Amino acid sequence: MKLYVPHIGHFEGLEELLAGSDNIYAVYMAGSPEYVGTGRTNLSAPKLDEIAQQTEYAHSKGVKMEIVLNSSCMGGQHLTPEGYRAIDWYFDKLNSIGIDSITVADPYLVEMLAKDYDMDVVVSVLSFVDTPQKAEFYEQLGATTIVVDPAVNRHFDKLEAIKDTVSCKLKLLVNEACLYQCPFRYAHFNFFSHANGPGPKPNVLDDYYYYKCLSLRIKDPQQIIKSPWIRPEDLKEYKHITDTFKIGGRTHFVNWILNDVEAYANERYEGNLMDLLDSIKDLKDTFYIPNRELDGAIEQWKKCDKVCHKCGYCKRLAEKVIHTYSGSGEDIRKIPLGSIGDRI
Amino acid sequence: MSMTQELLKARTSLENNLRELLGVPVFLIEMDAFALPCGCGGVTINTRGLQLDDLEVFEEHIIKHLTDTVTSLDIEPSFLFARMIPGTAEIASINARVLCNSCYMDFGRGSGKQPRPDIYIMRFDRRG
Repeated sequence: MKLYVPHIGHFEGLEELLAGSDNIYAVYMAGSPEYVGTGRTNLSAPKLDEIAQQTEYAHSKGVKMEIVLNSSCMGGQHLTPEGYRAIDWYFDKLNSIGIDSITVADPYLVEMLAKDYDMDVVVSVLSFVDTPQKAEFYEQLGATTIVVDPAVNRHFDKLEAIKDTVSCKLKLLVNEACLYQCPFRYAHFNFFSHANGPGPKPNVLDDYYYYKCLSLRIKDPQQIIKSPWIRPEDLKEYKHITDTFKIGGRTHFVNWILNDVEAYANERYEGNLMDLLDSIKDLKDTFYIPNRELDGAIEQWKKCDKVCHKCGYCKRLAEKVIHTYSGSGEDIRKIPLGSIGDRI
Repeated sequence: MSMTQELLKARTSLENNLRELLGVPVFLIEMDAFALPCGCGGVTINTRGLQLDDLEVFEEHIIKHLTDTVTSLDIEPSFLFARMIPGTAEIASINARVLCNSCYMDFGRGSGKQPRPDIYIMRFDRRG
């Protein structure tokens, strides 16, 4: 199994990460947002000399280095003469450093990388490849690997069709935990891309999409179960699709990342599923979902036709397993979901 | 009891009261005491899952719980408001503030529940 693992971006973090586990096949981190941003929040913006130092160190440990430049919107700057020259210069420098692969979301950058550089070209989840047709399109543009849209992580028919259609490698993001069929997905990543990209940067007061995402889950916790994460125990169900899995979470501490690495490497986790999930960290200390109580749920999801209002499986599962934390510190208790409002 | 212990206790108590009132697991993810250069002071309570219709329907009860909470911290609850994400139903925080003279004048000149798109006033005691 090949695990792609998030790296927060500075050398000390990489040392700590690689000292903490032998199960890491590759690490990935953002590059400099001066050229191409990313569709996520970043904790760092490593410069070229820092990327070179970290790449050399990763390679000395037998670990591959991937740079993520997956802005979902660059406002057309990449298609201007100045924008093209700057990105071309940056790609050339990364190529010289010996970066193993670059993840991008824009089809133009996929073709540009495939045509002129030696680095593997990885199509980001933010390209939303969820059908064999899209996968074929990106493969023809030059993709070496496609990270399949997690929205279809539980659509085995689509995953198998994508696998059958293309010969490039596939990668699955296991713990993103965005809302299933999220209505904010495009707008949220475009917002991040501008907030974390080359600029001009918007003077943002609040991340509306994140607030709304959490509110939806709080009002309707079955949405947490419906999120298309893949449990460590269920990786075996995907091995006929791929042996390559990506862990999300480059804004977390190294010990959080290592906990995920060990869970997915061992294909087993005894604890709160929320510990493993990226993107809803505000709810990590509020909901308790005993991971092992979800054993066997994959059998339902494998045959599920995703007509939730008729099925109701995830709703029943949420009511059965999810608890809410009450209190704080040492005086914390777990309360079944159903008791909120009448038995606190 | 130290100030941090008082804040911890107040956060938990208010969260439980709001959950019981609304029947959903509203979360108070952070409760901060603050002092500003202008002279204002008070507490800000960052919320997740609380929405404008909750506030409108249960305003009287939420005011009572918030007042009880900040009173337990020795804060005079003369100005209680929610900070909204403008144009939406999402409430980012609920706040109790002791206004300095300058900020009092700013708010005192306004009228209505929402003098700005990001502020929903629950209680504003006018000075005599």
